[in-house]
Amino acid sequence: MGAILQNPTQAEQDLLKSFSAERSDTQRQAAFERFARAGLPSRRNEAWHYTDLRAKLRAAPPRASRPDASVLDQAKEKLAPVDRFRIVTVDGYFSPELSDDLTCVQGVKLRPLVADDAILKRLAEGAEDALLDLNTAFAEGGFALEIAPEVHIDAVFELVALDGALGALGRFGRTVVVLGDGARAAILETRAESGEGFGDSAIFLSLGRGAELDYACRAQGGAAVEVQTFVARLEEEARLRAVSFLAGAPFLRRQLFISCAGANAEVHLAGAALLRGREHADTTLALTHDAPSCISRETFKYVLADQANGVFQGRIIVPPHAQKTDGKMLCRGLLLSDDAAMSAKPELEIFADDVACGHGAAVAKLDQNQVFYMESRGIPREEARAILVEAFAAEAFDLLDDEELRDLLKADLARLLARGDFA
Amino acid sequence: MLEVKNLHVSVAGKKIIDGLSLKVADGEVAAIMGPNGSGKSTLSYVVAGRADYEVTEGSIRLDGVDLLDKTPAERAALGLFLVFQYPLEIPGVATMTFLKAAMNAQRKAREQAELSTPEFMKKVREAAAKLNIPQDMLKRPVNLGFSGGEKKRMEILQMALLEPKFAILDEMDSGLDIDALRICAEGVNALRSKERGLLVITHYQRLLDYIAPDTVHVMHKGRIVRSGGPELALELEKSGYADYAEEAA
Ligand SMILES: Nc1ncnc2c1ncn2[C@@H]1O[C@H](COP(=O)(O)OP(=O)(O)OP(=O)(O)O)[C@@H](O)[C@H]1O
Ligand SMILES: [Mg+2]
Repeated sequence: MGAILQNPTQAEQDLLKSFSAERSDTQRQAAFERFARAGLPSRRNEAWHYTDLRAKLRAAPPRASRPDASVLDQAKEKLAPVDRFRIVTVDGYFSPELSDDLTCVQGVKLRPLVADDAILKRLAEGAEDALLDLNTAFAEGGFALEIAPEVHIDAVFELVALDGALGALGRFGRTVVVLGDGARAAILETRAESGEGFGDSAIFLSLGRGAELDYACRAQGGAAVEVQTFVARLEEEARLRAVSFLAGAPFLRRQLFISCAGANAEVHLAGAALLRGREHADTTLALTHDAPSCISRETFKYVLADQANGVFQGRIIVPPHAQKTDGKMLCRGLLLSDDAAMSAKPELEIFADDVACGHGAAVAKLDQNQVFYMESRGIPREEARAILVEAFAAEAFDLLDDEELRDLLKADLARLLARGDFA
Repeated sequence: MLEVKNLHVSVAGKKIIDGLSLKVADGEVAAIMGPNGSGKSTLSYVVAGRADYEVTEGSIRLDGVDLLDKTPAERAALGLFLVFQYPLEIPGVATMTFLKAAMNAQRKAREQAELSTPEFMKKVREAAAKLNIPQDMLKRPVNLGFSGGEKKRMEILQMALLEPKFAILDEMDSGLDIDALRICAEGVNALRSKERGLLVITHYQRLLDYIAPDTVHVMHKGRIVRSGGPELALELEKSGYADYAEEAA
């Protein structure tokens, strides 16, 4: 199959060449063909306007292969003991060796994804995106975590994504989490694939009727160019509380496609991004209220130091049948330097008449009067500023119901600020 | 001892303090009265070290130490405290976090060991009880949504906890109801000592009935235009500032 792309970039040529049709199933093949037609998104593509991936990704590094024993051994060293259920991928490949054995946990099933996995069918429907297509075409070692209906798991599941092999590589992790009707769980996704290279990972969440999930993603560090896609679908009365904490990634695009597919579903989203140096982080959200009487709340916060660049694009889509929708979206930026920049584009696309929706965006600097007030009590300026930054960012974590997750993120935040990069 | 000599201060190119000199000895309670806009709060901010003021001339010393080249936090660690006329609200920062950061920062600057959490809690609880500050007020973010009087009580609480060597009280009586005024004044009086100097800025004799000053200064257009004993405050109460308008002109 020949590429239809005109003037492909080096990276596009690399990606097109590395796809092998022999190993491909239908989903893969279809996704690859879409990618081959569209190519990498550039600023001319509205959804990618502030994150020109086509310009940024000069060349696509070779894809990481399945980690061998010595790579796994090295990865293992990065894992300290925790009292959570841990599921580990290395270079995007699920590693049963490094993961906890969940076979004896009632109502929980952990398995590798297979070709044309039926589980993905409905989940990927609403999300159309070139990088998601690329992930579908290339991801090989993904896994699925399934929680049976009505099962409540108290312990946190931590999904850890580590890098393994050295050098610039392409990593394509793929994860599916399914909560059956009435199931409850808490998930921590720790993304730590850093270094050179290119990351294009995806996580798919399916929440059955009345299911409830607390989800936190901490992306601290990241590949030179990284894209993370989060897809979630909620059935009737399901509740999703999802938080992301982004820091230390040089160039990160995090995109969320969420669909409230059943009536009375509730989505609470928040994010805190702390960027410094020349870091760039883009959170792009498309939330579809695809059923009546759903509630959504979004608060995304950016702390920007040095020459950092923060991007938030949020779109709430309310089709005609989604009456009684209640949606509110807010983006706030805190600029710690004159050279930092924030672009915020919250949008509502409302086609139903009986809805309550709103959005707002505000960018500000630290309040000098507050800083002086604290200083006048003896708190040195850097510490006063750090306390204010912490208060600003930590608010994003408050929506989580799971105390362990909340405390974990707050501790991470405190540790980050203690390094003094955001004073 | 606080010693201000020939101080000249401008804000945004406008002269606000114009050759002010003032001495407050250890153990002394000095009051400053003066019409709105005469520069009283500006003086207190400049002593505390707020950034946007330009000191063009003069000096400020606390116990002989030049304050002007010190940061606000360093001044606080030297024992200076300011009760703000308009205390700031700090959303998201818990009052207890703030108090602990302040107390420990000052202890650290003086090379004292940090307070343990139980020690800290005990001190705060005791001091709050004396000022009739309910525990749930301490659980809220700093001053957030507090009434004017509640904010002033929090200021006095901070002063009690930080035990400053010298305190400036900028209209601590504004916004306080009759009972709160008495309670806060008692809190201040409890801190009066041979070592501690106080500079009380107020518009009303009412406060000075509770906190009896040793000296009273009249400030007008950025200068001290008259100084005297407690009787001066009573006189001002009757005659107002009309007499000074010409004098300073
Ligand atoms: N940042 C500023 N820019 C311009 N003018 C200022 C600034 N800060 C203070 N001023 C002016 O300086 C003068 C003195 O203000 P200050 O607040 O010190 O007065 P005050 O004596 O405390 O008055 P009050 O009794 O009303 O509290 C006022 O005319 C005020 O408008
Ligand atoms: Mg004033």
